[in-house]
Amino acid sequence: MKFVLKIFKSVKPNFEEGGKFKTFLPLYEAMENFCFAPSTTTQLAPFARDPLDVKRFMTMVIIALVPALAMSYYFFGARLIAMIIVSYAAGGMVEVLFACVRKEPIAEGFLVTGMLFPMILPPTLPLPILAIGVIFGVLIGKELFGGTGRNVFNPAIVGRCFLALAYPKAMSGNFTTAGTEIPGRMLEYIHAGNAAAHDAISTATPLVLAKQGEMVNTVDMLIGNTSGSISETSAIAIILGGVFLLLTRIANWRTVVSILAAAFVTAAVIYNTDTTRFAPPMWHMCAGGLLFGAFFMATDPVSSPITNAGKWIYGIMIGVVTMLIRNFTGYVEGVMFAILLGNIIAPILDEIVFKIRIGRLKSEG
Amino acid sequence: MNETSALVIIVAAIFTNNILLANFLGMCSFIACSNQISTAIGLGTAVTFVMTMTTMINYAIYHTILKEGAVLVPYDLTFLTFIVFIAVIAAFVQFVEMFIERFSPKLYFALGIFLPLITVNCAILGASLFMVIRNYNFAQSVGFGFGGGIGWAVAIILMAGLRQKMRYSDVPKPFKGVAIAMIVTGVLAMAFMGFAGMVTIQ
Repeated sequence: MKFVLKIFKSVKPNFEEGGKFKTFLPLYEAMENFCFAPSTTTQLAPFARDPLDVKRFMTMVIIALVPALAMSYYFFGARLIAMIIVSYAAGGMVEVLFACVRKEPIAEGFLVTGMLFPMILPPTLPLPILAIGVIFGVLIGKELFGGTGRNVFNPAIVGRCFLALAYPKAMSGNFTTAGTEIPGRMLEYIHAGNAAAHDAISTATPLVLAKQGEMVNTVDMLIGNTSGSISETSAIAIILGGVFLLLTRIANWRTVVSILAAAFVTAAVIYNTDTTRFAPPMWHMCAGGLLFGAFFMATDPVSSPITNAGKWIYGIMIGVVTMLIRNFTGYVEGVMFAILLGNIIAPILDEIVFKIRIGRLKSEG
Repeated sequence: MNETSALVIIVAAIFTNNILLANFLGMCSFIACSNQISTAIGLGTAVTFVMTMTTMINYAIYHTILKEGAVLVPYDLTFLTFIVFIAVIAAFVQFVEMFIERFSPKLYFALGIFLPLITVNCAILGASLFMVIRNYNFAQSVGFGFGGGIGWAVAIILMAGLRQKMRYSDVPKPFKGVAIAMIVTGVLAMAFMGFAGMVTIQ
């Protein structure tokens, strides 16, 4: 470690006032903070009782993602790592650019966005498309609004919706079957370049098959042994990470509970109107990105409502819209659109809650 | 003549074929008047009302006077469609303006210049023209006018909410104001694309 520290110390003057690379100070600070705890401490009051800063907040989310990441590495292979690297590189570039121009330190928010984004994409999506998606998401969804904490939409969701609309073919055709034998696909690197070999192992996702009247076993989807977006297939791994987030109170339980409950009830109502055409509610709970979206995407504290009552309504809306889009539109997956709509409606929900509370206070005199 | 029921048209005009987010009509007042939620609600209500009423009036005029083989006039006057529709909308907005000034001076001042702007709001003329192009019958036209108005109101209220929240944002200088509003509108339209195919109208 001393060796690394030495390097940081030796290059630091270049980045300080008057140095050669003064513009890139944020980049230096980010690298230093990433490797070491910052040496600066608070000297004067007020002191926070819980040092839950953005850095620890984001680290918790990354820890919660580990089970899902491990499962997807097992099922879909080493390409996951390439996707994560490209996502961090492309999105990080935008982040560094803006931080240098704004002369602000790089916020840790991108650590999560850059990790979440490849996890909700098809396993063999061409890497340039992935890069375009993450750049669009970070630029339009976050940086134009002032960066972490000031955005109104979830950047990963903006990028995902953009890709779904801009590259519909690539986004619906690159699903591989999951590896089943003991090494899984852990030793393989599957990409779409070799078309013939790729066709042999590619398949439609459970949601697409359901529209054609073919049901994938719910147990398979619970474990994750199906095709799908790279980290969305394993329900158990997602629930494991999600419960960790709820216990540490990083994610708000109200959002998660209301999304899942509303989706379940809506799916049950739709299922009972025509049991031959629609899938049962339990199946829908495990299929596609519903769980991943509910635990990791919709709970984003910046783009979801800040009031508790608002969070309930926000969650209910996302759950209902997801099921409506899944069952009645041309899209097979509706979670990302539902969450984006939820982000859009969030400020209005907060406003209504405030109005009602102020009205109640006034009437109490 | 298509057979879609008026209720389906209302739902479609709000979600799948939102006149603002799918056809991008009525952008000028949408951008200019979406800074405050209360103004947005006022303008949204006014547009819904005007759109529903003018579609009805224009339907009556088009089918009794302008259309070829209409009941009242034996000539084909369809070339007058645009000018007649605009005149009807303008006259009707004047009426609404006087009405609002009389009964809600506060809303009148809040809307300011933008109430007369409804006169040239392309969404309202657009609704009347879509009615002609798509061959709607009376019930369908009313449904489309009403749904279109509600859809426009929903869009501007959501936009106002987002812009209120964006007061805490730090938008780069070149993107301040209208530019970021256009970008947010694009993201809104993207989210509404998710409804595509739920119900279809022409």
